[in-house]
Amino acid sequence: MNALIPFALTFIIISLFIYQSTKNIGNNLSAKAFATFSLVFILITFSSINTEWNRMTSELVEEVDDPHYGLPDLWDGKQAFCFHFPSPENSPSGLDDGRHHFDFDGTDFKTDKDWNQTGGCVGGFEGFENGLDLQNAAIEVTGNTFLITSTEFSFGLQIDSISGITPCDVYECASDGSSGAYWQLLHNGAYSMVGISDLVLDEDSVVTWQLATY
Amino acid sequence: MIDAHAVNLGPYGLLLVNLTLLSIIGWALWKTERNLSSQSDTIVLFLLGIFAVSGRILLEPIPNIQPVTVIILMSGIYFGVSRSIILATSVALISNLFIGHGLWTLYQAFGWSLVGIIGAVFSNKLHLNNTSSNTPLMIVAIFCAFIFDWVVSLSVLHTLGPDLLFVYILAGIPFDILHAVGNIFFVAWLASPLSEIMTRHLSVKKPLAVKEIVKNRI
Repeated sequence: MNALIPFALTFIIISLFIYQSTKNIGNNLSAKAFATFSLVFILITFSSINTEWNRMTSELVEEVDDPHYGLPDLWDGKQAFCFHFPSPENSPSGLDDGRHHFDFDGTDFKTDKDWNQTGGCVGGFEGFENGLDLQNAAIEVTGNTFLITSTEFSFGLQIDSISGITPCDVYECASDGSSGAYWQLLHNGAYSMVGISDLVLDEDSVVTWQLATY
Repeated sequence: MIDAHAVNLGPYGLLLVNLTLLSIIGWALWKTERNLSSQSDTIVLFLLGIFAVSGRILLEPIPNIQPVTVIILMSGIYFGVSRSIILATSVALISNLFIGHGLWTLYQAFGWSLVGIIGAVFSNKLHLNNTSSNTPLMIVAIFCAFIFDWVVSLSVLHTLGPDLLFVYILAGIPFDILHAVGNIFFVAWLASPLSEIMTRHLSVKKPLAVKEIVKNRI
Protein backbone atom coordinates (compact mmCIF):
# COMPACT_ATOMS: atom_id res chain seq x y z
CA MET A 1 0.00 0.00 0.00
CA ASN A 2 2.83 2.40 0.91
CA ALA A 3 4.26 2.21 -2.58
CA LEU A 4 0.95 3.41 -4.06
CA ILE A 5 0.78 6.54 -1.89
CA PRO A 6 3.37 8.54 -3.93
CA PHE A 7 1.37 7.79 -7.10
CA ALA A 8 -1.86 8.96 -5.46
CA LEU A 9 -0.24 12.11 -4.05
CA THR A 10 1.34 13.03 -7.40
CA PHE A 11 -1.99 12.52 -9.14
CA ILE A 12 -3.91 14.65 -6.63
CA ILE A 13 -1.37 17.52 -6.67
CA ILE A 14 -1.22 17.74 -10.49
CA SER A 15 -5.03 17.43 -10.70
CA LEU A 16 -5.45 20.35 -8.30
CA PHE A 17 -2.97 22.38 -10.36
CA ILE A 18 -4.91 21.62 -13.55
CA TYR A 19 -8.20 22.50 -11.83
CA GLN A 20 -6.82 25.83 -10.57
CA SER A 21 -5.37 26.67 -13.99
CA THR A 22 -8.49 25.92 -16.01
CA LYS A 23 -11.47 26.53 -13.71
CA ASN A 24 -12.23 29.94 -15.19
CA ILE A 25 -12.14 28.77 -18.79
CA GLY A 26 -15.44 27.55 -20.22
CA ASN A 27 -16.34 24.85 -22.76
CA ASN A 28 -15.56 22.03 -20.31
CA LEU A 29 -11.84 22.67 -20.82
CA SER A 30 -11.16 21.85 -17.20
CA ALA A 31 -12.75 18.42 -17.63
CA LYS A 32 -10.88 17.79 -20.87
CA ALA A 33 -7.54 18.78 -19.34
CA PHE A 34 -8.17 16.63 -16.26
CA ALA A 35 -9.30 13.65 -18.36
CA THR A 36 -6.30 13.86 -20.68
CA PHE A 37 -3.88 14.18 -17.77
CA SER A 38 -5.54 11.24 -15.98
CA LEU A 39 -5.23 9.04 -19.06
CA VAL A 40 -1.58 9.91 -19.67
CA PHE A 41 -0.77 9.48 -15.96
CA ILE A 42 -2.42 6.06 -15.70
CA LEU A 43 -0.81 4.83 -18.92
CA ILE A 44 2.66 5.90 -17.77
CA THR A 45 2.33 4.52 -14.24
CA PHE A 46 0.14 1.49 -14.97
CA SER A 47 2.94 -1.07 -14.95
CA SER A 48 4.17 0.07 -11.52
CA ILE A 49 0.66 0.39 -10.06
CA ASN A 50 -0.28 -3.08 -11.32
CA THR A 51 2.89 -4.62 -9.86
CA GLU A 52 2.31 -2.96 -6.47
CA TRP A 53 -1.35 -4.01 -6.48
CA ASN A 54 -0.44 -7.62 -7.27
CA ARG A 55 2.06 -7.63 -4.40
CA MET A 56 -0.54 -6.15 -2.03
CA THR A 57 -3.25 -8.64 -2.94
CA SER A 58 -1.07 -11.77 -3.22
CA GLU A 59 -1.76 -14.65 -0.85
CA LEU A 60 0.45 -17.45 0.39
CA VAL A 61 0.15 -20.86 -1.28
CA GLU A 62 -1.63 -23.20 1.15
CA GLU A 63 -1.16 -26.59 -0.57
CA VAL A 64 1.44 -28.38 1.59
CA ASP A 65 2.60 -30.72 -1.19
CA ASP A 66 3.21 -27.80 -3.56
CA PRO A 67 6.94 -26.83 -3.81
CA HIS A 68 5.69 -23.24 -3.60
CA TYR A 69 3.97 -23.93 -0.26
CA GLY A 70 4.09 -20.81 1.91
CA LEU A 71 5.29 -18.58 -0.94
CA PRO A 72 3.16 -15.77 -2.46
CA ASP A 73 0.89 -16.98 -5.26
CA LEU A 74 2.32 -14.11 -7.28
CA TRP A 75 5.31 -16.40 -7.92
CA ASP A 76 3.30 -19.37 -9.25
CA GLY A 77 5.15 -20.76 -12.26
CA LYS A 78 8.27 -18.73 -11.43
CA GLN A 79 11.54 -19.45 -9.63
CA ALA A 80 12.39 -18.55 -6.05
CA PHE A 81 15.43 -18.85 -3.78
CA CYS A 82 15.03 -19.12 0.00
CA PHE A 83 17.48 -18.64 2.88
CA HIS A 84 16.18 -20.11 6.14
CA PHE A 85 17.48 -19.57 9.66
CA PRO A 86 16.34 -21.79 12.54
CA SER A 87 15.27 -19.15 15.08
CA PRO A 88 14.99 -15.39 15.58
CA GLU A 89 18.08 -15.43 17.81
CA ASN A 90 20.13 -16.92 15.01
CA SER A 91 18.92 -14.61 12.23
CA PRO A 92 20.42 -11.48 10.75
CA SER A 93 18.81 -8.30 12.03
CA GLY A 94 15.69 -7.34 10.12
CA LEU A 95 14.97 -10.93 9.15
CA ASP A 96 14.19 -12.28 12.62
CA ASP A 97 10.41 -11.76 12.66
CA GLY A 98 9.36 -14.45 10.20
CA ARG A 99 9.98 -15.27 6.56
CA HIS A 100 10.31 -12.20 4.36
CA HIS A 101 9.39 -12.29 0.68
CA PHE A 102 11.41 -10.18 -1.72
CA ASP A 103 10.21 -9.71 -5.30
CA PHE A 104 12.54 -9.97 -8.30
CA ASP A 105 13.51 -6.29 -7.93
CA GLY A 106 14.43 -6.66 -4.26
CA THR A 107 11.22 -5.18 -2.82
CA ASP A 108 10.38 -6.74 0.55
CA PHE A 109 6.59 -6.91 0.16
CA LYS A 110 5.26 -9.61 2.46
CA THR A 111 6.34 -11.26 5.70
CA ASP A 112 4.96 -14.56 6.92
CA LYS A 113 5.24 -14.30 10.70
CA ASP A 114 3.68 -17.75 11.20
CA TRP A 115 6.40 -19.55 9.25
CA ASN A 116 8.36 -21.94 11.46
CA GLN A 117 11.72 -20.47 10.41
CA THR A 118 13.05 -16.97 9.86
CA GLY A 119 14.89 -15.53 6.86
CA GLY A 120 13.64 -14.72 3.44
CA CYS A 121 12.77 -15.87 -0.06
CA VAL A 122 13.59 -13.97 -3.21
CA GLY A 123 11.29 -14.88 -6.10
CA GLY A 124 9.54 -14.02 -9.30
CA PHE A 125 12.52 -15.04 -11.43
CA GLU A 126 12.20 -16.64 -14.84
CA GLY A 127 14.49 -18.43 -17.24
CA PHE A 128 17.33 -19.48 -14.92
CA GLU A 129 18.69 -22.95 -15.72
CA ASN A 130 21.44 -23.24 -13.11
CA GLY A 131 21.11 -23.05 -9.30
CA LEU A 132 24.22 -20.91 -8.81
CA ASP A 133 23.00 -18.31 -11.32
CA LEU A 134 19.65 -18.08 -9.53
CA GLN A 135 21.39 -17.78 -6.16
CA ASN A 136 23.63 -14.97 -7.43
CA ALA A 137 20.61 -13.12 -8.85
CA ALA A 138 18.75 -13.45 -5.53
CA ILE A 139 21.75 -12.10 -3.60
CA GLU A 140 22.31 -9.25 -6.04
CA VAL A 141 18.72 -7.89 -6.05
CA THR A 142 18.54 -7.90 -2.24
CA GLY A 143 21.71 -5.82 -1.94
CA ASN A 144 23.81 -8.53 -0.32
CA THR A 145 21.29 -9.10 2.50
CA PHE A 146 21.97 -12.81 1.97
CA LEU A 147 25.69 -12.52 1.28
CA ILE A 148 27.33 -15.93 1.11
CA THR A 149 30.90 -16.88 1.95
CA SER A 150 32.14 -20.22 0.66
CA THR A 151 35.20 -22.39 0.26
CA GLU A 152 36.08 -24.16 -2.95
CA PHE A 153 36.97 -27.82 -2.44
CA SER A 154 37.85 -30.51 -4.94
CA PHE A 155 34.37 -32.00 -4.47
CA GLY A 156 32.70 -28.64 -5.00
CA LEU A 157 31.61 -25.50 -3.23
CA GLN A 158 31.01 -25.54 0.54
CA ILE A 159 28.97 -22.73 2.07
CA ASP A 160 30.62 -21.26 5.17
CA SER A 161 28.11 -18.56 6.10
CA ILE A 162 24.94 -16.87 4.89
CA SER A 163 24.25 -13.35 6.08
CA GLY A 164 27.11 -13.83 8.57
CA ILE A 165 25.49 -16.89 10.19
CA THR A 166 27.81 -19.90 10.34
CA PRO A 167 26.44 -23.36 11.23
CA CYS A 168 28.75 -23.87 14.23
CA ASP A 169 27.60 -20.54 15.73
CA VAL A 170 24.11 -21.98 15.94
CA TYR A 171 24.74 -25.66 16.69
CA GLU A 172 27.49 -27.30 18.66
CA CYS A 173 30.19 -28.76 16.48
CA ALA A 174 32.56 -31.44 17.83
CA SER A 175 36.23 -30.65 17.38
CA ASP A 176 36.88 -34.11 15.95
CA GLY A 177 34.16 -33.59 13.32
CA SER A 178 31.97 -36.45 14.62
CA SER A 179 28.99 -34.10 14.92
CA GLY A 180 28.24 -30.65 13.65
CA ALA A 181 26.09 -28.57 11.38
CA TYR A 182 26.11 -27.44 7.76
CA TRP A 183 24.13 -25.51 5.18
CA GLN A 184 21.83 -27.98 3.49
CA LEU A 185 20.55 -27.50 -0.05
CA LEU A 186 16.92 -28.29 -0.91
CA HIS A 187 15.38 -28.29 -4.37
CA ASN A 188 11.58 -28.13 -4.45
CA GLY A 189 11.49 -29.19 -0.79
CA ALA A 190 13.68 -32.31 -1.25
CA TYR A 191 17.37 -32.73 -0.44
CA SER A 192 19.44 -31.95 -3.48
CA MET A 193 21.70 -34.78 -4.66
CA VAL A 194 24.01 -32.31 -6.42
CA GLY A 195 25.72 -29.08 -5.40
CA ILE A 196 24.34 -25.62 -6.15
CA SER A 197 26.63 -25.14 -9.17
CA ASP A 198 25.40 -28.38 -10.76
CA LEU A 199 21.74 -27.95 -9.90
CA VAL A 200 19.52 -27.94 -13.01
CA LEU A 201 16.39 -25.88 -12.44
CA ASP A 202 12.78 -26.22 -13.54
CA GLU A 203 10.81 -23.20 -14.68
CA ASP A 204 9.17 -22.97 -11.22
CA SER A 205 11.99 -24.29 -9.01
CA VAL A 206 12.25 -23.35 -5.35
CA VAL A 207 15.80 -23.66 -4.03
CA THR A 208 16.47 -23.38 -0.30
CA TRP A 209 19.47 -23.13 1.95
CA GLN A 210 18.73 -24.17 5.52
CA LEU A 211 20.81 -25.27 8.51
CA ALA A 212 20.99 -28.99 9.31
CA THR A 213 22.96 -31.09 11.78
CA TYR A 214 24.75 -34.44 11.52
CA MET B 1 9.73 -8.99 -55.60
CA ILE B 2 10.66 -6.27 -53.14
CA ASP B 3 8.25 -6.22 -50.20
CA ALA B 4 7.82 -2.45 -50.27
CA HIS B 5 5.11 -2.38 -47.55
CA ALA B 6 7.04 -4.40 -44.98
CA VAL B 7 8.11 -1.50 -42.75
CA ASN B 8 8.73 -2.55 -39.17
CA LEU B 9 6.89 0.11 -37.16
CA GLY B 10 7.21 -1.18 -33.61
CA PRO B 11 4.39 -0.97 -31.03
CA TYR B 12 4.36 2.83 -30.65
CA GLY B 13 4.53 3.43 -34.40
CA LEU B 14 1.65 1.04 -34.94
CA LEU B 15 -0.37 2.73 -32.19
CA LEU B 16 0.21 6.08 -33.87
CA VAL B 17 -1.02 4.62 -37.18
CA ASN B 18 -4.10 3.23 -35.39
CA LEU B 19 -4.87 6.59 -33.73
CA THR B 20 -4.54 8.30 -37.13
CA LEU B 21 -6.91 5.77 -38.69
CA LEU B 22 -9.42 6.22 -35.85
CA SER B 23 -9.27 10.00 -36.26
CA ILE B 24 -9.90 9.67 -40.02
CA ILE B 25 -12.83 7.30 -39.39
CA GLY B 26 -14.28 9.62 -36.73
CA TRP B 27 -13.93 12.69 -38.97
CA ALA B 28 -15.47 10.89 -41.98
CA LEU B 29 -18.41 9.64 -39.90
CA TRP B 30 -18.97 13.13 -38.50
CA LYS B 31 -19.01 14.60 -42.03
CA THR B 32 -21.40 11.86 -43.15
CA GLU B 33 -23.72 12.60 -40.25
CA ARG B 34 -23.83 16.30 -41.19
CA ASN B 35 -25.43 15.36 -44.51
CA LEU B 36 -28.15 13.23 -42.95
CA SER B 37 -31.65 14.53 -42.51
CA SER B 38 -32.75 14.85 -38.90
CA GLN B 39 -34.33 11.88 -37.09
CA SER B 40 -32.16 9.38 -38.99
CA ASP B 41 -31.63 7.55 -35.72
CA THR B 42 -31.08 4.10 -37.25
CA ILE B 43 -28.34 5.37 -39.56
CA VAL B 44 -26.69 7.26 -36.69
CA LEU B 45 -26.79 4.09 -34.60
CA PHE B 46 -25.06 2.28 -37.49
CA LEU B 47 -22.39 5.02 -37.76
CA LEU B 48 -21.81 4.92 -34.00
CA GLY B 49 -21.42 1.14 -34.25
CA ILE B 50 -18.74 1.55 -36.92
CA PHE B 51 -16.87 4.06 -34.76
CA ALA B 52 -17.16 1.86 -31.65
CA VAL B 53 -15.92 -1.27 -33.47
CA SER B 54 -13.08 0.67 -35.12
CA GLY B 55 -12.14 2.24 -31.79
CA ARG B 56 -12.07 -1.07 -29.98
CA ILE B 57 -9.98 -2.79 -32.65
CA LEU B 58 -7.57 0.08 -33.27
CA LEU B 59 -7.02 0.85 -29.57
CA GLU B 60 -6.51 -2.81 -28.71
CA PRO B 61 -2.76 -2.29 -28.00
CA ILE B 62 -3.76 -0.13 -24.99
CA PRO B 63 -5.34 -2.46 -22.43
CA ASN B 64 -8.96 -1.70 -21.54
CA ILE B 65 -9.02 1.75 -23.16
CA GLN B 66 -11.76 1.94 -25.81
CA PRO B 67 -14.74 4.20 -26.59
CA VAL B 68 -17.37 1.43 -26.68
CA THR B 69 -18.66 1.78 -23.10
CA VAL B 70 -19.24 5.53 -23.40
CA ILE B 71 -20.89 5.24 -26.83
CA ILE B 72 -23.27 2.53 -25.59
CA LEU B 73 -24.00 4.46 -22.38
CA MET B 74 -24.92 7.51 -24.45
CA SER B 75 -26.98 5.48 -26.91
CA GLY B 76 -28.89 4.15 -23.89
CA ILE B 77 -29.48 7.72 -22.70
CA TYR B 78 -30.67 9.05 -26.05
CA PHE B 79 -32.02 6.05 -27.96
CA GLY B 80 -33.32 3.80 -25.19
CA VAL B 81 -32.88 0.23 -24.03
CA SER B 82 -33.61 -1.83 -27.14
CA ARG B 83 -31.35 0.12 -29.50
CA SER B 84 -28.48 0.24 -27.04
CA ILE B 85 -28.75 -3.54 -26.65
CA ILE B 86 -28.61 -3.94 -30.43
CA LEU B 87 -25.53 -1.70 -30.51
CA ALA B 88 -23.90 -3.46 -27.53
CA THR B 89 -24.36 -6.95 -28.92
CA SER B 90 -23.32 -6.02 -32.47
CA VAL B 91 -20.19 -4.19 -31.33
CA ALA B 92 -19.17 -7.06 -29.05
CA LEU B 93 -19.65 -9.66 -31.78
CA ILE B 94 -18.14 -7.76 -34.72
CA SER B 95 -15.10 -6.45 -32.83
CA ASN B 96 -14.46 -9.90 -31.34
CA LEU B 97 -14.44 -11.42 -34.83
CA PHE B 98 -11.20 -9.44 -35.25
CA ILE B 99 -9.84 -9.52 -31.68
CA GLY B 100 -10.96 -12.99 -30.63
CA HIS B 101 -14.40 -14.56 -30.38
CA GLY B 102 -15.43 -17.02 -27.70
CA LEU B 103 -17.68 -17.52 -24.71
CA TRP B 104 -16.56 -14.14 -23.32
CA THR B 105 -18.35 -12.40 -26.22
CA LEU B 106 -21.65 -13.36 -24.61
CA TYR B 107 -20.60 -11.82 -21.30
CA GLN B 108 -19.27 -8.69 -23.03
CA ALA B 109 -22.56 -8.32 -24.93
CA PHE B 110 -24.43 -8.74 -21.66
CA GLY B 111 -22.15 -6.29 -19.83
CA TRP B 112 -22.45 -3.58 -22.47
CA SER B 113 -26.20 -4.15 -22.72
CA LEU B 114 -26.36 -3.53 -18.98
CA VAL B 115 -24.45 -0.27 -19.54
CA GLY B 116 -27.04 0.74 -22.15
CA ILE B 117 -29.85 -0.11 -19.76
CA ILE B 118 -28.22 1.99 -17.02
CA GLY B 119 -28.02 4.89 -19.48
CA ALA B 120 -31.68 4.51 -20.38
CA VAL B 121 -32.78 4.26 -16.74
CA PHE B 122 -30.91 7.44 -15.76
CA SER B 123 -31.68 9.14 -19.07
CA ASN B 124 -33.48 12.13 -17.52
CA LYS B 125 -30.55 12.96 -15.25
CA LEU B 126 -27.79 12.40 -17.82
CA HIS B 127 -29.15 14.29 -20.82
CA LEU B 128 -26.63 16.95 -21.82
CA ASN B 129 -27.41 20.39 -23.12
CA ASN B 130 -25.27 23.45 -23.86
CA THR B 131 -25.07 24.53 -20.24
CA SER B 132 -24.96 21.24 -18.33
CA SER B 133 -21.79 19.72 -16.91
CA ASN B 134 -20.32 16.37 -17.96
CA THR B 135 -19.65 15.42 -14.34
CA PRO B 136 -22.75 13.23 -13.69
CA LEU B 137 -22.11 11.38 -16.95
CA MET B 138 -18.45 10.90 -15.98
CA ILE B 139 -19.44 9.45 -12.62
CA VAL B 140 -21.87 7.00 -14.23
CA ALA B 141 -19.23 6.12 -16.86
CA ILE B 142 -16.77 5.28 -14.07
CA PHE B 143 -19.31 2.96 -12.43
CA CYS B 144 -20.12 1.41 -15.81
CA ALA B 145 -16.43 0.54 -16.33
CA PHE B 146 -16.42 -1.50 -13.13
CA ILE B 147 -19.84 -3.04 -13.75
CA PHE B 148 -18.91 -4.11 -17.29
CA ASP B 149 -15.55 -5.56 -16.21
CA TRP B 150 -17.10 -7.48 -13.31
CA VAL B 151 -19.86 -8.90 -15.51
CA VAL B 152 -17.23 -10.07 -18.01
CA SER B 153 -15.21 -11.52 -15.10
CA LEU B 154 -18.15 -13.85 -14.40
CA SER B 155 -17.03 -15.83 -17.46
CA VAL B 156 -14.17 -17.27 -15.37
CA LEU B 157 -16.78 -19.24 -13.42
CA HIS B 158 -16.66 -21.71 -16.33
CA THR B 159 -12.99 -22.46 -15.69
CA LEU B 160 -11.89 -21.35 -12.21
CA GLY B 161 -14.98 -21.87 -10.11
CA PRO B 162 -16.69 -19.52 -7.65
CA ASP B 163 -13.93 -19.68 -4.99
CA LEU B 164 -11.46 -17.79 -7.15
CA LEU B 165 -13.93 -15.29 -8.62
CA PHE B 166 -13.29 -12.70 -5.90
CA VAL B 167 -9.52 -13.13 -6.20
CA TYR B 168 -9.80 -12.75 -9.98
CA ILE B 169 -11.88 -9.57 -9.67
CA LEU B 170 -9.51 -8.17 -7.02
CA ALA B 171 -6.46 -8.82 -9.21
CA GLY B 172 -8.15 -7.04 -12.10
CA ILE B 173 -8.89 -3.78 -10.29
CA PRO B 174 -5.94 -1.87 -11.89
CA PHE B 175 -7.40 -2.83 -15.29
CA ASP B 176 -10.86 -1.67 -14.14
CA ILE B 177 -9.29 1.67 -13.17
CA LEU B 178 -7.74 1.89 -16.66
CA HIS B 179 -11.20 1.34 -18.16
CA ALA B 180 -12.71 3.98 -15.86
CA VAL B 181 -10.03 6.56 -16.70
CA GLY B 182 -10.50 5.80 -20.40
CA ASN B 183 -14.24 6.42 -19.96
CA ILE B 184 -13.55 9.77 -18.26
CA PHE B 185 -11.38 10.72 -21.23
CA PHE B 186 -13.99 9.73 -23.81
CA VAL B 187 -16.81 11.47 -21.90
CA ALA B 188 -14.72 14.66 -21.68
CA TRP B 189 -13.94 14.71 -25.40
CA LEU B 190 -16.87 12.88 -27.05
CA ALA B 191 -19.92 13.50 -24.86
CA SER B 192 -20.78 16.97 -26.17
CA PRO B 193 -20.48 16.21 -29.92
CA LEU B 194 -22.20 12.83 -29.50
CA SER B 195 -24.96 14.46 -27.47
CA GLU B 196 -25.48 17.05 -30.19
CA ILE B 197 -25.63 14.37 -32.91
CA MET B 198 -27.94 12.08 -30.94
CA THR B 199 -30.29 14.90 -29.96
CA ARG B 200 -30.62 15.92 -33.61
CA HIS B 201 -31.60 12.39 -34.59
CA LEU B 202 -33.95 11.56 -31.75
CA SER B 203 -37.04 10.02 -33.28
CA VAL B 204 -40.13 11.89 -32.18
CA LYS B 205 -43.21 9.78 -31.62
CA LYS B 206 -46.07 10.81 -33.86
CA PRO B 207 -48.83 12.33 -31.75
CA LEU B 208 -52.16 10.58 -31.79
CA ALA B 209 -55.05 12.51 -33.23
CA VAL B 210 -57.14 11.69 -30.19
CA LYS B 211 -55.92 10.52 -26.83
CA GLU B 212 -58.62 7.97 -26.17
CA ILE B 213 -59.98 5.46 -28.59
CA VAL B 214 -63.71 5.63 -28.98
CA LYS B 215 -65.07 2.32 -27.82
CA ASN B 216 -68.79 2.84 -27.89
CA ARG B 217 -70.77 4.31 -30.67
CA ILE B 218 -74.00 6.03 -30.07
